[in-house]
Amino acid sequence: MAYALQQLINGLTLGAMYGLIAIGYTMVYGIIGMINFAHGDIFMVSAFIAITAFTILAAADVTSIPLALTFVLIVSIFFTSAYGWAVERTAYRPLRGSTRLAPLISAIGMSIFLQNTVQLTQGARVKPIPPVLEGGIVLWDNPTFTVQIGWSQLLIIVTTVILMTGFTWMITQTPFGRQQRACEQDRTMASLLGVNVDRTISYTFMLGAALAAVAGVMVTVYYGVVDFFIGFLAGIKAFTAAVLGGIGSLPGAMLGGLLIGLIESFWAAYLWAEYKDVATFSILCLVLMLRPSGLLGRPEVEKV
Amino acid sequence: MSAVVFARHAMTPAERLRDAGWVAFVGLILGVPLIGLTTVDVGGRLGVETRFGLLAAFVAAAFAGRLALRWGIDHMRNRKLAREQASTTTAAQRAHGAQRLVNIVGWVALGASIALPIVYSDNRYVVDTATTVLIYVMLGWGLNVVVGLAGLLDLGYVAFYAVGAYSYALLSTQYGWGFWEALPVSGALAASFGILLGYPILRLRGDYLAIVTLGFGEIIRVILVNWTEFSGGPNGISSIPRPSFFGLEFTRRPAEGEQTFAGFFGLDFSAMHRLIFLYYLILVLALLTHVFVSRLRKLPVGRAWEALREDEIACQAMGMNTTNIKLSAFAIGAMLGGFAGVFFAARQGFISPESFTFTESAIILAIVVLGGMGSQMGVVLAATLLVLIPEFGRNFSEYRMLLFGAAMVLIMVWKPGGLLSHREPTVRLQATGAAASDKEGAR
Amino acid sequence: MKKTLLATAVLALGGFSSAALADLTVAIAGPMTGQYASAGDQIRKGAEMAIADINARGGVLGEKLVLEVGDDACDPKQAVSVANTMVNKEIAFMHGHWCSSSTIPASEVYNEADILMATVSTNPQVTERGLNNIFRIMGRDDQQGLVAGGYIAEKFAGKKVAVVDDKSAYGKGLADEMAKAMEAKGLAPTLREAITAGEKDYSGLVTKLKQAGVEVMAYGGYHTEVALILRQAQAAGLQLTVMGGDTMTNSELVTAAGPAADNVMFTFSPDARKNPDAAPVVEKFRAAKVEPEGYVLYAYAAMQLFEQAATAAKSTDYVALEKAMRDGSFNTVIGELSFDAKGDQKAPGFVVYRWQGGQYDYAQ
Repeated sequence: MAYALQQLINGLTLGAMYGLIAIGYTMVYGIIGMINFAHGDIFMVSAFIAITAFTILAAADVTSIPLALTFVLIVSIFFTSAYGWAVERTAYRPLRGSTRLAPLISAIGMSIFLQNTVQLTQGARVKPIPPVLEGGIVLWDNPTFTVQIGWSQLLIIVTTVILMTGFTWMITQTPFGRQQRACEQDRTMASLLGVNVDRTISYTFMLGAALAAVAGVMVTVYYGVVDFFIGFLAGIKAFTAAVLGGIGSLPGAMLGGLLIGLIESFWAAYLWAEYKDVATFSILCLVLMLRPSGLLGRPEVEKV
Repeated sequence: MSAVVFARHAMTPAERLRDAGWVAFVGLILGVPLIGLTTVDVGGRLGVETRFGLLAAFVAAAFAGRLALRWGIDHMRNRKLAREQASTTTAAQRAHGAQRLVNIVGWVALGASIALPIVYSDNRYVVDTATTVLIYVMLGWGLNVVVGLAGLLDLGYVAFYAVGAYSYALLSTQYGWGFWEALPVSGALAASFGILLGYPILRLRGDYLAIVTLGFGEIIRVILVNWTEFSGGPNGISSIPRPSFFGLEFTRRPAEGEQTFAGFFGLDFSAMHRLIFLYYLILVLALLTHVFVSRLRKLPVGRAWEALREDEIACQAMGMNTTNIKLSAFAIGAMLGGFAGVFFAARQGFISPESFTFTESAIILAIVVLGGMGSQMGVVLAATLLVLIPEFGRNFSEYRMLLFGAAMVLIMVWKPGGLLSHREPTVRLQATGAAASDKEGAR
Repeated sequence: MKKTLLATAVLALGGFSSAALADLTVAIAGPMTGQYASAGDQIRKGAEMAIADINARGGVLGEKLVLEVGDDACDPKQAVSVANTMVNKEIAFMHGHWCSSSTIPASEVYNEADILMATVSTNPQVTERGLNNIFRIMGRDDQQGLVAGGYIAEKFAGKKVAVVDDKSAYGKGLADEMAKAMEAKGLAPTLREAITAGEKDYSGLVTKLKQAGVEVMAYGGYHTEVALILRQAQAAGLQLTVMGGDTMTNSELVTAAGPAADNVMFTFSPDARKNPDAAPVVEKFRAAKVEPEGYVLYAYAAMQLFEQAATAAKSTDYVALEKAMRDGSFNTVIGELSFDAKGDQKAPGFVVYRWQGGQYDYAQ
């Protein structure tokens, strides 16, 4: 029981992180209908920015953890959004209105490009920082097994909940959210009604990148080790999460992320860890066979 | 990081400078965290190192590059405009001319590929790289059936490639099958995997299909890695027998009672003989694939694929059986991938799950899309480019994959429809032949 | 039609072209880019230094050595491509590749082209395929696993031990051998697990180990994952001792795992830096700001092996050189090298090390 609870905490933490990255996929898909394969690498870039920022702070002898975290978050979000904007501008905007597959290939190229840029400029070695948040709360002091939740795990879960709430509010209540949803439904009509479509799409990319940046900072805090290869696996998993939840749906992305985190944790905990990816993808297939547009996705309306 | 934006009017020099300045500013922001700053290992801890000189150079390069690019684009556009105004041919005529050119180039390429090993008979590297290109051409043509013709996005094509490779490897090392016996069996096996994958996901469309195929590719790879008793696990399978030339082995010393290729023809033994033989083998396989696919396109099933790509609902309304159409596309694409896998295993002599990762699927898909979906010649061109860019890049070693990624983006931005985006309609109505649309967006 | 063309092609140009080179080209290959680039870097630094030294002594048989570097990124397909490039460059000797999965396919190309190679790949398959052009200057995974497993069974008798690998050819081979050796000495592993290399989250594994009360983890795989597992174990309040293989020599482990790295033990050949004969070379490396750790001295030794074998054979011709290597005994910075019929080093000798405050030393 205690063991299951601990694995649940592990799974939730992992799932929250997948969910944060998955929102970036889902928003981009919602608005321009493309799979942004470079999104995982945007997340990787943000982790590197976070590492650099933490190192600068350590060199400047900043010891206050809340201060350090806020600084790193702001820096990372700023630069990562710039990357999100630039990627959209150079690799996707010129392809708008061409075939569906053209931006996909461009995104795969961009992903390879970003990975190698980071490898070249920052080196192939893994980048570690000393643990930022040590310790945690003991939840249940069972004689055989102590269940504890680390401060960093708590931070990840709480941040994710806050961001999700804020985000849902922004999409449903603010003028920007309305514009965003308008562009999702019909880009031509939205532009006729005075919505600046280009700008809305740019902002969407920047927002997705900002969420990836938060995930990047969290990964740096939680694992403390970053390399140029982390974007690939995280990207694939997050993309799976977005599809599982129903691509285009924000709560769906979060739900998908959590589900995948939990499936991975529990499958590895009780069954064969080496087949956990098989389990994830098989469950995805099953879900899609029963609900072809994901758990919370809207069925596509087809016009003939 | 310069963006390609379409200008609406001629730019004044001041505007050009402002535009380039803006790009340089973006370059500065992007460059600060990755170029200007880096973390280095100082005695077991990280320390920050600044490289502002390099950053300044990068920003300056962005500024100059943008100016030149902007000017170049405007210049080219003006010239193109002038040429179009001057010329009297219609778009259809030009397209027809382009098609004829492509045909001529195709024959020239065929001639060149037959002559290549004769010219480079002692250059191992050239022959071997050309063999790799041909493997990708064949894979591209196979995937083209699924993506280019039937319009089904497949991100896990490498699974069928793996099925083909492992079937040959297992059949030959465990049961002593020869290359030619194993080829059809492995192809059939890959095809049945295609149907196996295709069946449960018939209802899915677009990107849902993409993620499931991606997952299928990963499942196959993870099983190959973990099921050690069956597939050798991460060790892979080594010492896979090489194909023989009608029973003549390409070895230095013949086995008891057998004759070697070199001995039979009275030649000195050379390791090149096998390489050249393998090259011609894949050339023949690839050409057969080409003929096969071109013929299929003219048959009802091929037309059905293209109809399905253009409009699935209309297909159903016309009473076509979309299930069978989709499954046949998956099966035939998978079979061709399986054949390529058999050849790959026979050429490498060693296979392991590392050769069948998602990246491989992505590259094959990139070949199809970069070539211009559905265009057979485009696949050849794109496969050649994508294999040769990293190979030429070996001189720049660490910039190799960077260039590869950048090239993929640039080609796509430059030619969104693919390198040879013009497609000859498979069927042409005689009366309105010229008016047949050449490229319907596949949206 | 095709067949006649083929026959003419082969008949017409079956011959060789062999150009006499002014310089002797030798090559190294390994992961110069990609995840394991730091190992490739070590090999390059060692080989560069060795070649500079050999050339300063007047080269091999009066000819200067020139170094070619091949990057396979640990990808088997690229390894074959690199091998073909190297054959074209008519190299006389190859040191590489690094990953076993690259060495195996590449060695068949070198074998066909009559090129001798010395490798540090530890998978048994490397020398088990009956190729006579390959020499291994490092031990084998089965020997390595024997030493590591034996050590665990002896020193940690009665404790719960988990055997974990990363599903790579190297990692799984090593972990299997460790488990076998432990069982032979009467200590059955409590858990047998596998992880996916390249992931970051191993909290599931750590929780599982904690639940099973595991104190020692025998690990087959690379150092990056060990660092992550140790960090996460520490965060979960689990004291874990790790026993790994030769890849743990990488000092990245210490940077990434922090003080927890002191719990890592591993097997490696006897420390060449402690070899008194190697002292001048070690000094030279340190003067050049290169710590001769891991594979640096092995790359140096591989070049020495070539120099001495060629001098003994008085030729760089394949047959003579191969005979010289197989029969001779060579004095290198990693000690005395001689080979058995398969091409394995005769006295590989693995020793157990332990990290301590950023340095590794023999474990007691």
